[in-house]
Formats: sequence, structure tokens, C-alpha cells
Amino acid sequence: MKRIVSLLFMAALLGLLLYVVAYMPPMGDPENPTNSSDVTTRYLEKAEEETYTVNVITGIILNYRGYDTMGEVSVIFCALAAVLAVLGREKRGKIYAYADRSRVPSSVIVRTMVAFLVPFIILFSIYTILHGELSPGGGFQGGAIIGASMIIFTTIFGLFESSERIPQKLRSPLEGSAFITFFLVGVLGLVGGGNFLTYAWPNIATDLQPAVVLWLTILVEIGIGVGGAMVLISILFSMIREEEEIAIAP
Amino acid sequence: MGTVLNLIFIVLMVATALLAVFARDLLAAVIIFSVYSLIMALMWQRLQAPDLALTEAAVGAGVTTVLFVVAIFKTRRREEE
Amino acid sequence: MRLLHNYQYVAAMLLFCIGLYTVIVRRNIIKKLIGLNIMETAVFFFYISLGYLDGGIAPIRVGGADPSRMVNPIPQALILTGIVVAVSVTALALALVILLYRQYGTLDVDRLFRDEEVEPEAGTERGGTA
Repeated sequence: MKRIVSLLFMAALLGLLLYVVAYMPPMGDPENPTNSSDVTTRYLEKAEEETYTVNVITGIILNYRGYDTMGEVSVIFCALAAVLAVLGREKRGKIYAYADRSRVPSSVIVRTMVAFLVPFIILFSIYTILHGELSPGGGFQGGAIIGASMIIFTTIFGLFESSERIPQKLRSPLEGSAFITFFLVGVLGLVGGGNFLTYAWPNIATDLQPAVVLWLTILVEIGIGVGGAMVLISILFSMIREEEEIAIAP
Repeated sequence: MGTVLNLIFIVLMVATALLAVFARDLLAAVIIFSVYSLIMALMWQRLQAPDLALTEAAVGAGVTTVLFVVAIFKTRRREEE
Repeated sequence: MRLLHNYQYVAAMLLFCIGLYTVIVRRNIIKKLIGLNIMETAVFFFYISLGYLDGGIAPIRVGGADPSRMVNPIPQALILTGIVVAVSVTALALALVILLYRQYGTLDVDRLFRDEEVEPEAGTERGGTA
């Protein structure tokens, strides 16, 4: 009964949505209201000289629309805070004497290949973070790739080993680094004489401005990358860990 | 050629979405969902959005799928009836 | 018929309705979360295909790319934030699912609404990986 009513509701909603879609402007038309606005033309033409990045999208999310990115990094930090409030962290200084169920039994070939590949994946993710303004890439993409590589490592070698590689005293200060970097760059914009989150400071000489803009953009990208990676790794560790502890180290 | 490739991707996306919804085994549903994520990442490239393709591939196949698998590992594997 | 020309919008609406059906009808919470993710990616797909130009190139200015032929970059910048928010919501929802199972022993929404206190039995099939 519930299924039939839901199917009828879906059919009605789908019919309404298709009716709306049939009257929209054709897809791909250059005269669309979305494509022919002045904001788009200005962003596409002036992005390289105003933001000094080749990738227009990185210029938009870090420079033209930097407030939205600041909101995004605060959302991901709030998700981490809520996950830790719900599940809790592992406590320092206690030894868990249980069979590490997070490790998948694997052969020597798999372990060797994973141990060989993980440094290269981390190197690739550092390349992706730093090349955010020259090619497709950016801060969050590199952070997600570091998170994915640590997930592979944790699956094969267990939670113990990967907790030793990235211990809690390294992760805890760095989780909020994305938002702190943004805030710092914003306040430096105020010091430099412009508004909050201005990259091109009016107080310094005009031929120093490209260097300052470039360095601030790279700093913000590294902050987002490291912060995003630490957030994803911390969420993974607190979801994997077991809740019983059997032995406490003396 | 371009339209045919887009249509193939769209048919694959709808098929994997339907399979992920109607699978009884939750682990199978999550693996099919990661295939859906991969085809969505290819579709972003067809729409000339390389940043989004990179993000969707890294996040969909790397992070979301593994979080689902960890959650299934800690709860039940089959859907109850 | 413009529906045949806008086939990508039609596909996005179809995927949105599949996701909404999953959230409404399926009783397992993890299945509902998969449906929520399908809905989110369908909305992103619709939004990006609004900004597509026929014969457009990616908005990266290398090698003398012509800015008047580039696709619209603003939806892509907005949806990048959207993807990050989607993964945050999924991570938090899965953490709550783990806590819910620990407390009630079931993930079936009908049984949860009937408010049964069930302990997870010792012989329950957990996970399935050896």
C-alpha cells in the first residue's frame, strides 16, 4: 500500500519535473541566460590578470568567491567535531590488547605492493595540491587523495600501524588548519590595507603584488589540503576503532 | 559521437542507480554505488569540468565507499525484511 | 520536442526521483543514505549541465585557449563546495548509524519507530568479512 502510493507520488513528481524541463532553454546554447551574463564573461577574461592563476576555477573559489570556501572548510570541520562528539577518539597512553579486527588478512604480494605504492600516492597528492592554480586540481582534491591513501594503508596494515604513522598529537592541531589559514590570510588582507580576504594589498608597491597574491593563494591551498586530509583521516580512525579495551598499560 | 557517448553513460548511470537501490545485500549495494560514482566522474569530464571529475573520483571511490563499508562492517550486512 | 534535446536534464530528474523513492520507501537506514547520495549527485549533474556550451572547452587558460569558447565556470565552483558538503553529511550520518546500531540493535526504521530496546545478539552476522 505504501509502495503504491509512493510510486504514484514519484510518477506525479517526475511528470511535473519533465514538464518544467521541456520548457527550459535548450542545453548548450550560447544565448542561455546562464551563459551570457556579464559576470561569466568578466570572470573568464580577467581571471588570469587579476588572480594570477591559470585555472579559472581555482581563481574563483579562492579569490573571487573566497567566502564560500571559508564556509565550506567550516562545514567540514563541524562534521569532524560532530563525529568525534558522537564516537569519541582513542585515548592516548593506553595499549589496546585486542585482536586488531581492522586488518584484512592479505598475502605478501599485496602488502609489498601497498607499502610500495603509498609514498607515490602521497607524492601525487602533494603535486595536486601545489598545482591547483596551473592545472586541474586544488586543495581539497589533494586532501581527499591523501585520505584515500591512508585508508588503503589502514586496511592492509591495521589501525595500530597507521596510528603510529600519523599519531594523534600530529592530527589534533592540524585539523582546524584550513579555517585558521583562511582567517589568517583574511586578517593579513586587513593589515595590507584592503578588505577582509583581499589578496592584492594596496599598501605595498604595485610590482610586488603578483608575488604576494601567488604566495597567499599557495598558502591557502596548502592549508585546505592538509586540513581536509587530517579531517578525513580522523573521521576514518574514529569510525574504525573498537570500543572495548582489554588491558591497560601500567 | 559525443551524443552517443553521453547517452551510453546516462543509461549506465540509471542502471547502476536502480541496481544499487534494489540490492538486498548492503555490501553489494555499496560497491554498485561506487561504480555509479565512477561513471558520474566520467560524466563530469564529458561536461568539460576536470576539477569536479578529480574531486568526484577521489571522494566517491576513495572516501564515501570506504566509510559505507566500515559502517556495514559494524552493523548488519543484509537488509531486514 | 525540446525534451529530446535536453536529455541530460531528463536524466538528472530521473536520477533525482530514483533517489527520492529510495529515501521514502526503503526501510534500512544505510539504503536511505545511498538514496540521499544519489539525489545529491543528480542535483549536481543538473546544475553543471546548465552551464554547458556546445563545443566548449574546459575553463583553464593554457596554450592560448579562447575565453569565449569556455564553458561556464561559476556552477563548477559552486558545486565543488557542494561535493565537500555532501561527503561531510554522509560521514556524520554514518557515524550516527553506528551509534544507533550500538544502542538499539537494529537499523530498520519501522522497528525503531516502535521503540523496541533490542540488544545485539552474540551470534548476529556482523559484517561478513572473514
